[in-house]
Order: sequence, then structure tokens, then C-alpha cells
Amino acid sequence: MASPEEAYSDETLAFMDLAIQQAKLALDSLEVPVGCVIIKDGKVISSGRNRTTEARNATRHAEMEAIDMLLDKWQERGLSKYEIAEHFSKCILYVTCEPCIMCATALSILGISEVFYGCANEKFGGCGSILSLHLGNSESHNSGGIPQGKGFKCRGGIMASEAISLFRGFYEQGNPNAPKPHRPVVRQETQ
Amino acid sequence: MEIVHIPEKLPFPPHQQPTVDVFAAQLEPKLANTLVRRLNQIAPLETLRHVKRIRKKLLQAQDGKTELSVILCVAENNNELCNIPNDVQDLITSYQLSPFRTKVCKYAATSKEEWEEQCKLWPTSYHPPTYNIDGITGFSEEDSQSIFSFMNAAIQLAKSSGRSVVNAALIVDPSVKRVISSACDQTCSWDTPEDKNVLKTCCFKQPKAFNSNTDCEGTVSCKTLHSNGFPVEEKQLYAHVSCLFPWGWAEQQAHMGSCRWHPLRHAAIVAIESSAARDRHLFPNLCDIQDKPVDTDNVQSTSMGSLAKRQKTDFEKVKGDDILDSCGEDSQSLSARPYLCTGYDIYLVWEPCTMCAMALVHQRIRRMFFAFPNSNAGALGSVYRLQGERSLNHHYAVFRVMVPEQVLDTAVTC
Repeated sequence: MASPEEAYSDETLAFMDLAIQQAKLALDSLEVPVGCVIIKDGKVISSGRNRTTEARNATRHAEMEAIDMLLDKWQERGLSKYEIAEHFSKCILYVTCEPCIMCATALSILGISEVFYGCANEKFGGCGSILSLHLGNSESHNSGGIPQGKGFKCRGGIMASEAISLFRGFYEQGNPNAPKPHRPVVRQETQ
Repeated sequence: MEIVHIPEKLPFPPHQQPTVDVFAAQLEPKLANTLVRRLNQIAPLETLRHVKRIRKKLLQAQDGKTELSVILCVAENNNELCNIPNDVQDLITSYQLSPFRTKVCKYAATSKEEWEEQCKLWPTSYHPPTYNIDGITGFSEEDSQSIFSFMNAAIQLAKSSGRSVVNAALIVDPSVKRVISSACDQTCSWDTPEDKNVLKTCCFKQPKAFNSNTDCEGTVSCKTLHSNGFPVEEKQLYAHVSCLFPWGWAEQQAHMGSCRWHPLRHAAIVAIESSAARDRHLFPNLCDIQDKPVDTDNVQSTSMGSLAKRQKTDFEKVKGDDILDSCGEDSQSLSARPYLCTGYDIYLVWEPCTMCAMALVHQRIRRMFFAFPNSNAGALGSVYRLQGERSLNHHYAVFRVMVPEQVLDTAVTC
């Protein structure tokens, strides 16, 4: 899945760089540094970064933040379910780390078209590392007219080293949200 | 009612357990001790620790006489008798044994049924699992009662809109038997924060009071049941159960009025969100690891902002409740603050999809109880088996609470 960086267009690298910027914002707030942007028609329409510590909700991953922002925006504009589904099917996600099993399922539920990610997620990746939810589940059983799991195109390894070095930075400073036996948090002077 | 543990691995049918071949031989009872001691030195059964070295067979025909056999060594593939290790061969010669090939079970039994089946081939030992999670080795009468009553509360919640059945979730602190949060699916509609009349019924202790907070539109009218009580067509009957039909959101009829909808607001996700809101409310200052306090209500993005506003309204409604009374003392002691949902249980009417099941891994839930399996998208045994993915950084124990499907018939109790 990992390809040499030369294989990616300037545009791909530029969007991933924006996702990295989002991850840095998370790191500044002592959050696990994962960030993402959502692209439609060549434009950034949403962005998000991990917010699990602040929300005390371990499901508030970057992808979920960016998705909620879009759903809010589109519903405020009065778009119908059908129109919103149409919109999602034209969206591309750039995220610094492989979406976890939860987020990969969410992306499949929404019917997003394509995902570019940075580093692989060996512990709970849902796009090939642990489960392969991006492949959809059309093979698993006869749907009988019931909407089934949709797949999405997925490519990993884009600017993976940058994404990993952010993680390294985070674990060096310590996770303030971890239970006691974990490594102590290094207090840092903020700005 | 019954509570069934859903294990990490799909168990083998008891009579189809994998086996390995061994060489064994009958022996005189008086030789047993000597031979076993010697064999344990020269041919220890390293990979078959659950297998007993000696088999004792009661011979009916010979009036209570017993016949002893001993395992000499494991038989390699295509192994003829001549390939028995030299040490063992010496033993065979000196005691004039007649080796034969036989089968023993490869893996230790994980249940009493498996064990009974194994012993028909060759006796094994069986140690019931001793996990440190309550319930895997069985529930006390008191615990069972409490599990049934929480599951019942979840089922009532799932039917509470009175129109179509949805999935419902109850997060419970089992140490004090208290509901931490509860929620229904909000994929079809959920009430906007401005609608304060609806929020009035929100309360942490009484799940029954949640009904009007989780109103879902009822576009499904087909409630026809066969005479045996099972649905004519599950798709129509349970079309609003988000985890059963996660990909169906775009096809559902849009709701008229001020209600919002969200394809990812499955019951478990909403319940996690409420429990996180409770944590932030009861322990507002404990995450101030940074030098500046974090104002969770203001720092959030627009969507989170509106959510936080809604949750704030929820909490205003529980003032006077004893949870808030205890808040003062709880927030004094660090130990009382939960780390996410550590130690908590969740009750779901339907087996969750992979999104919800993984969300509960992230949120560190301890035990999961569900009533009905989810053959479309179930993540805990039906399609996937997340509790068996060893790479995950947390695992919860999964149980199915067996209840008759008729309990979902809204006409029965509503």
C-alpha cells in the first residue's frame, strides 16, 4: 500500500500538508496528533483534528469532527438527505493516519469516494491493517435490496514520516488523558 | 431468561475439534508410575499439556476390571512405528509394549461440552476460564436480575417513541447499579437544542423518562406479525434500527419540521457522548493539565458548540438530582473520576455495527450486553468478531441476553 512519494501529485501532497497542519493544532492542545481535510471539487470544504482529551470522548477523532461540521453546514443550507448523500459521494478525505475501524465504517456509511492517508494504524486500522472496511462487504452475503456496505478507494503512505514524527512528539510529551500507570506528562511551556 | 457469553474465537463444534496423532500402548497398572516418570523425561508432551498421559478404561465385560494405556510420544506426519525416538523405542523393547496410533484433541477445551467430547477420544483436563471480568464464568442470581432489568429498560427505551422500534443504549456503572447515560438512535431525527420542552424529561437515573427526548419519525407502519410472533419482513419492521441498516440513511424519508438528522448518531455513539458530557459536567476541572483551564463549551467547533449547548441544557434539568448532590464530594477526590467508561457496562437492544463496537473499544467499556444479533452488520460475532482482534488496545467481554423477540412488539406493552 505504501508507494514512493514521487508517485503523488503536488495537489495530493498539498492537501496532505493541510491535514498535517490540523494534526499540529491537535498536538498544541495536547491531543493525539491526527488531522484531516475533506475535499470536494478540488476545494477544502471541511477540516478536523482529534479532540478526544478535551471532549473526554474517545470517539472524537479528526474524521468525526470534520464530518459533523459538514453535516451541520449542509443541513443549515436546507439540503435533503439525497443531496447530502450525493455530496458525500464526491468527497475525498486526506487524513494523517489510517482511519480506525470506527471511522472507516463511518466513511463507508456516508459513502465517501476516496481516502488518502499518511501512516498505517497497526493497532486498529480499518482500511487494511486490521479490518478492510474500505472494500465494502458486497461479498459477504446476499443483500436482498438492503443497502450494503459501500467501499471507497484508499491509498496510504502519503507523507507518512511527517505523521509518525508528530506521534513521536506526542508520546515524548506524555498523554495527559491516560490512566495513572502510564508515563508522566512532561509539563511544557506553551508559547 | 439466559445470559450467554460470546467468546473471542468461534468455538469448534464439540465433535469436530482438531486432533493430533500420538503413539500409545497398554500397560500393566503396576508399571504406570515408573513409565510415566520416564516418558515425561524423554518425551514430554509440551504442546499437549491439557492431555492426560494415562487413559483408564473400565472394562464392562470383565466385571469392573480396568485397562490402562499411556501416551508414548507424538506421531509426526506419515510416521511409521520405526520413527519413534530411540529412547522411547528402548522403553518399548524393555517393557515389551505394543504401540498403537490414536488421536487426541489438539487444543484445551474451552467449555464443559467440548471437554466431554474430547474425553471420548482420550482424557484431557479442563480448567474453566478464569478471566478477571465478572460474568464469563457465570452470574450470581443478584447480578442476573440486575442485568435483566437493565436490558428490559433498554428494550422499553427502544420502543418508547411508540411508532417505530429503534436501537437503544444504556451505559451503566455496575458497582452502584446506576445508569450513567442512555440514548436511542438519532439517525432519523434528533431534537434541536432550542427545543427545551423536549429536554425536560432528561434524567440520568430513570431511563424510562427518556422517551420524548429520542423521538424518531415513524415512517414504518408494517407491524404485521406471524401467529408465532416473528416478523413477516425484518427489513420493514426494524428499518429504523441504525446498526442493522447503517447504509440505509439516505433512503429514509426526511423528517418534516425542525428536527435534525445524522447518519452516524447510532444509539451507542449518542450514549457515549452523553456519558462524556456528564464527565465534563461533574468533573469540570480535572483535565486542567495545561496551565490554562479548558473551556469545553467555547473552544469547540460550531457543530460541537451546538452539541455542548444541548448537553448543558440537559444538565440544567437534573439539578436537584442526587447525582449533582454527590458531585461536590466526587469532584474532591481524583479517584472518583471515571477514565472514559472504564468499569462501565453497556446494554444495547441489537448487536452493534463495527462503528459502534469500535467506539466502545475506544471509550474503554468493560462489558457489553445485547439482546438480538445483527446478521447485516454485527461486529461482535455475526459478521465480525471485534472482541477477538488481539491487536486492539482494549477488549470488553460480550454477552447476549436471551429474550423472546415478542418483547419488541410495541402493542404488547405500550
